[in-house]
Amino acid sequence: MNGAARPTQAAVRRDIGFFEWFFSADTWWGNNGILESLRETVVLCAAVTLVAVVLSVPVASVLAHLRRAELSTTWLVSISRAVPTFAIAALLVPWSLRSGRGFEPIPIFTALLLLALVPIYLNTYTAIRQVPEGAVDAARALGETELSILTRVELALAASLVFAGVRVAAIQVVATEPIRAFLGGDGLGRYVRDGIGQSNNTLVVGGIVLIGGLAALTGLAFVVLERLVLPNGVRRLARQQGKRTT
Amino acid sequence: MNPHSTRRRAGLRLLVPILTLGLVAAACGGDDSDADTTEVPAETTAPPAETTAPPAEGPTIRVRGQDFSEAITIAEVYGQYLDAKGYDVEILTPAGFRTEAIDGIRNADLDLIIDYIGGSLTALAPDGESLSDADEIMAVIGPLYAEIGGTLLDYAPAIDGDAFVVRGDSEASTISDVADLDYVFGASAQCFERPQCFLGYTDPDVYGIEFSDTVTLEFGPLLGEALQAGEVDAVVWNDTAPQIDEFGFKVLEDDLGLHPAQNIAPIVRTEVLEAYGDQLRADLDALSAMITTEDLLAWNVETDLEFRESAAVATEWLEANDLI
Amino acid sequence: MAVSLLAQARNPIIRWEWIIEEWHQIQSAIFEHLRLTVLAMLLGLVVSAGLAAIALRYRWTLTPITATTSLIYTLPSVALFALLAPVFGNLSLYTAVLPLAGYTLLILVTNIVAGFQAVPPSVRDAAEGMGFGPARRIWTVDLPLALPFIVTGIRIATVSTVGMVTVAAIIGQGGLGRLIFSGLRRAFWTPMTVGASLSIILALLLDALILGVGVLLTPWARRRRATS
Repeated sequence: MNGAARPTQAAVRRDIGFFEWFFSADTWWGNNGILESLRETVVLCAAVTLVAVVLSVPVASVLAHLRRAELSTTWLVSISRAVPTFAIAALLVPWSLRSGRGFEPIPIFTALLLLALVPIYLNTYTAIRQVPEGAVDAARALGETELSILTRVELALAASLVFAGVRVAAIQVVATEPIRAFLGGDGLGRYVRDGIGQSNNTLVVGGIVLIGGLAALTGLAFVVLERLVLPNGVRRLARQQGKRTT
Repeated sequence: MNPHSTRRRAGLRLLVPILTLGLVAAACGGDDSDADTTEVPAETTAPPAETTAPPAEGPTIRVRGQDFSEAITIAEVYGQYLDAKGYDVEILTPAGFRTEAIDGIRNADLDLIIDYIGGSLTALAPDGESLSDADEIMAVIGPLYAEIGGTLLDYAPAIDGDAFVVRGDSEASTISDVADLDYVFGASAQCFERPQCFLGYTDPDVYGIEFSDTVTLEFGPLLGEALQAGEVDAVVWNDTAPQIDEFGFKVLEDDLGLHPAQNIAPIVRTEVLEAYGDQLRADLDALSAMITTEDLLAWNVETDLEFRESAAVATEWLEANDLI
Repeated sequence: MAVSLLAQARNPIIRWEWIIEEWHQIQSAIFEHLRLTVLAMLLGLVVSAGLAAIALRYRWTLTPITATTSLIYTLPSVALFALLAPVFGNLSLYTAVLPLAGYTLLILVTNIVAGFQAVPPSVRDAAEGMGFGPARRIWTVDLPLALPFIVTGIRIATVSTVGMVTVAAIIGQGGLGRLIFSGLRRAFWTPMTVGASLSIILALLLDALILGVGVLLTPWARRRRATS
């Protein structure tokens, strides 16, 4: 929020055609343009995903290594899928406002983080549990420390599935982030919000196209990233183990 | 009486009428309210007396409130009142806002809606000139409702207009004063495309305010929270929001008369009105005449500050006024 | 006004009398929620079964089918509801059920296909050797063997559908989301807490129920079952 006086947003005509709207320069540039909204969305989603990775991967790895939390893991999936993200964010907004922290980022960040933690946690846990016992035993026999087994054998062999978990989490975060626009924020959800509020279907469609597009790009980006980061052998191994992303 | 006896599931019924749209609605406009006005005053004077006259047989009257507390209570008041009078009434689960309500009349999914007349004006004639006089507005929207198969009945004294709200310590006392204050402005998405709202505030030919920033907020208590927290310095809310008093906010005077009159008025599907004859019109007019702005505010205090449910608040008010 | 919102006496996180007074409302919300979930799941299953059959019969279609269902899965639900509203009428049941069913496709198709692909070719050959025709083989051999995968898919899809139905309240469908939104509009926490908790409980119950039915349907798998 900058304080500089500037002409405030112009309303988009209700009868504007989708292409006319989408290909107009005003739609893209400026403080209320798509590029700025896109930046807001990408920054938040990247931060959420990153924090989720930092929090879930170590916990899941250690628990899986120790063979703990087998049952709770299954229940965690069920609960997390049923938790209404919107309700959590909405409950946090008044608290955040009253404690002087503003609309953002705490409520939306927390809600999205809860959403992102689970797929990463689960995939990491499952992946490490699927590492062949033989590999772990062999490393142990060679005198590797438990930490070294975890990071250099188990996590290395599980990397591809962990990656898949992060990808799923990131896509879900991108697809859910638009609720932010209904809670005092902006981001790409603004087009959906304004479209609904102003009975402007062009804006709703535009919002869906942008959000769906960003989600698809996110998925693609992870595929590319995986190719760049993970060695071929690890990826081949993952394919043999079968694809488990849900 | 039990206010919930008239409640049924809304969902499945909505399936049926999708294909039977428009045809019926379009055919029966044209009815004008002038012809019957002579009878109304006689009956409005003694509403409780009418309970003795059972209404003629007629179709079920489906009423549905717009999805915010005040409108839900209003719908409960009208619905429970008609139910007590012996009409076959179905109070549907509240849903949607003005657009959905008007579509309901147009598509014959709903038989009775209650709207704010200034709001109806912006919805039905979005490009028309803005009017602040209630009777002028009625003259414009009456025929427009008739076109979609609805009959606009007399408006109630109750007004719930747009309110330009600022914190209690603001230096401004009129909206014009805000021009020099470099305020951050918060409102719902609807406001930002309306000449009677944001466009009027910023239009150099009207208020010509240059806000330092704008925030789009969901209409409701979030507006008050944002204003109180200093995230925004001015919001567009409604006159009867009970939080305005609660938080010590103040409503600025609309010194240029931008805001339209927002009396509440019932709109009945013409076909249903004709089926019941003048009795239904008389009963509704009698009720509308009793609802004041203070009533709206009192209902909102009950629902939004005391967190009671609209149905119970409506029953209580009707009982207190000997209407049921 | 410095008092924490959550500590307000008349607006605690949960006000128990409200639950008793408004039980009829809660009850019908649960019923509505179940109805939307079941309708969406049934529709999702029928469509998924069709898509999976196509994908299994013509292998090249698997990639486009997965791509399409993945894309649907990533669309924001609020927006999808809003988009369908003008098509089917703002508050139509279709407007709620179609997107909800759409979101189940990815999980269901993936699991059905995986289930049938996991049937060992030797078993299939044996059935054919015993003179089973294709239809009979699919019904009596392939399907039972694929069932554990399918049941897992149904469980996951059901649980996420229960969560998703709360959003349908935006377009005026009932369900527990209606309680959440009604609380949100008034900054009244009790309905929000009740709606959110019940939605989680409902999901867990349905999950357990389907798990139980799955176990009953596949008694032979009980001993071999590892995790879902």
